[in-house]
Amino acid sequence: MAGFSIQRSTRTSRATALVALLVLAALVAAPWWAGRADLRLLGEIFSFLALATLWNLLAGYTGLVSVGQQAYVGFGGYALFALAMFLGVHPLLAIVIAGIAGALIAIPIAPLLFRLQGAYFAIGTWVLAEVFRLSFAQVSALGGGSGASLPAGVVTGIASERFVREAMIYWTALAIAVAALAFVILLLRSRTGLALTALRDSEIASESLGIGIWRTKLAVYVSVAGLTSATGAFIFLQKLRISPDAAFSVNDWTAYVIFIAVIGGIGTIEGPIIGTILFFLLRETLADLGTTYLMILGAVAILVMLRAPKGVWGIIAERTGWSLVPIRRRVVFPQ
Amino acid sequence: MADTIRTGLTRRTFLKSTAATALATPAILHFTRAYAQNPTLKLGYVSPKTGPLAGFAEADDYVLDGIRKVFAGGLENNGKNWAVEIIVRDSQSNPNRAAEVASELILKDEVDILLGAATPDTTNPVADQAEVNGTPCITTDCPWQPYFFGRGGNPAEGFESTYHFFWGLEDVIANFLALWDHPGVEKKVGGLFPNDADGNAWGDAELGFPKPLAAAGFTLTDPGRYQPLSDDFTAQITAFKSAGAEITTGVMIPPDFGTFWAQAAQQGFKPKIVTIGKALLFPSAIEALGERGNGLSTEIWWSPNHPFVSSLDGTTAKALADGYVSATGKPWTQPIGFRHALFEVVSDVVKRAADMEDSEAIIEAIAGTSLKTIVGTVDWSKGPVKNVSKTPLVGGQWQKQGDKFELVITTNTQAPEIPVGGELALLG
Repeated sequence: MAGFSIQRSTRTSRATALVALLVLAALVAAPWWAGRADLRLLGEIFSFLALATLWNLLAGYTGLVSVGQQAYVGFGGYALFALAMFLGVHPLLAIVIAGIAGALIAIPIAPLLFRLQGAYFAIGTWVLAEVFRLSFAQVSALGGGSGASLPAGVVTGIASERFVREAMIYWTALAIAVAALAFVILLLRSRTGLALTALRDSEIASESLGIGIWRTKLAVYVSVAGLTSATGAFIFLQKLRISPDAAFSVNDWTAYVIFIAVIGGIGTIEGPIIGTILFFLLRETLADLGTTYLMILGAVAILVMLRAPKGVWGIIAERTGWSLVPIRRRVVFPQ
Repeated sequence: MADTIRTGLTRRTFLKSTAATALATPAILHFTRAYAQNPTLKLGYVSPKTGPLAGFAEADDYVLDGIRKVFAGGLENNGKNWAVEIIVRDSQSNPNRAAEVASELILKDEVDILLGAATPDTTNPVADQAEVNGTPCITTDCPWQPYFFGRGGNPAEGFESTYHFFWGLEDVIANFLALWDHPGVEKKVGGLFPNDADGNAWGDAELGFPKPLAAAGFTLTDPGRYQPLSDDFTAQITAFKSAGAEITTGVMIPPDFGTFWAQAAQQGFKPKIVTIGKALLFPSAIEALGERGNGLSTEIWWSPNHPFVSSLDGTTAKALADGYVSATGKPWTQPIGFRHALFEVVSDVVKRAADMEDSEAIIEAIAGTSLKTIVGTVDWSKGPVKNVSKTPLVGGQWQKQGDKFELVITTNTQAPEIPVGGELALLG
């Protein structure tokens, strides 16, 4: 029995890695083959991909179902505005600083939220986001309840040439999405990843096996908060305007994100990617229908939850047995 | 080694030339369009078709139908006929979405002129996207202070490509003061200002209500900014009662005013005049208040009784409003006139622009506008600040006539050319 080994990559996963690299190369070169509008849309897609991947890490792998991630999106957005407008920090650098600030502010918040379990935790995160919204509505330097616009000079200051500027903003979005995905994949392949899987399945059982539940959750929550804040900063660099209601919008930054993760497949790496593509396909084709569009989104979500609780990727994986991202460990015995 | 360097250079040259071609492509396309048989002018229009602000866009379909008929034959520019395509996008009453659709109109649809209407939540994100991209942009239906200062505007510099027409706070204040000039009412005012774009501007100690009210001899009780969608106005009502306020004013959203007005009745607060901005604009909001809607007063930006005609086809204000009423069976609303006027300005700009291919020339034509529209004169050379043109504003009261509420103009001190329709009656 001594000769077993642990295998993680499969043939499909190796093929996927190759395809992913090719896709990534094509995306890096997008400023040369895509139009301005496409770049902007891709930027938005990447930010939603990052938000959905991060939310999926919290809810799908750590069991922290948060409906308050808009707290960090908005915080990151406001941090960008404050840094760029008052301190004259270069906007792209400000995105990084906003991410660090988001992680720092999550450190004292996490212990408070972790005292709540399950549904109470979900409500607690939402309350936190509302506290953020109301607090930023009181900061008159940032426009209070009225909101503020990013001066055009801040954006044009990124680079004087429009092509370079738009390419740089686009690459930032791509970098954020890749960073979020890479972070989640690497984390899940690590020791912490094993702990997370155990944690998700049973908190009590994993604690009795000696897993430091509290420390693991804290690490995940704080790093997700940081990356979400950086994504938020990028989102509002594209929007150019921030107001408390827009920054801490539960619909835009949490409901849509949950929709993406749910239809794609919670608890899988592939789910949020597929979900993001489906969400944007629906939006680009149906958004002009007004309220009908939102009703269709709702109907799709209900249908998927009832008929395919594991999402679109769940169905595919079940039928084909594919695992594109090598996270699972398989014990292989020599024949 | 030499090989590597050479390929590197080739790649770079390749990328550079591709980039240059890509950059030049839009210019080439534009160039060809000017010489096309029937060039098409693209207009992008963003408004809150759905969501809490939908009342402002309720009449859009009716107005756009009329405008499309007028534009069906195209617009003349420098002896050439331009077909007009209007692309309408819904902001879903969400500033995030407004910014997204505006940017899509600019980058994907490559509109020549971007238009936006209704409240800072639409006009500001739309104008911000246009400003960064240098797209000509005209907006309306938002007091100019939240538009101009809310976007960080500097009166000395103004904006490059974004223009706005509407009235301002000073007009609202002057009209409200004229409404309140009544011998039977004490000059004690209670102010209800929310913590949002409008509330912060109206309640601002320097630019808002407090100073002019004090100058006119009114005492203002302002209990501070409340959070929109508040469910308890007891603190405000108590403050107004103890100050003996006989007048109540503010700028509220309809649900907040409904809450306040119900609680005022419960707690025995009976002001003689209630003049509220924004909340009392639409007949539907008044009807929702039932009997207690009678006698409330508000600002009036446009009505069927305004003595103006459309520069497009000579339609009178009355004919435009009646057309809406008979087409939809709904009562007329104030935004109808401003939607129509927005396209009047576009048509005028197209006629005068030196070169429709050049956004600079279009911007120049917008800045040089002096046009009598269905909402009054739009002229950006006379604005209170750069990029802003003011239209006349009057004040009036909702009065029950038969079983319907009518918005009657009761003061016209700011715009004497608009006739008064009745007298202000005090609340019981």
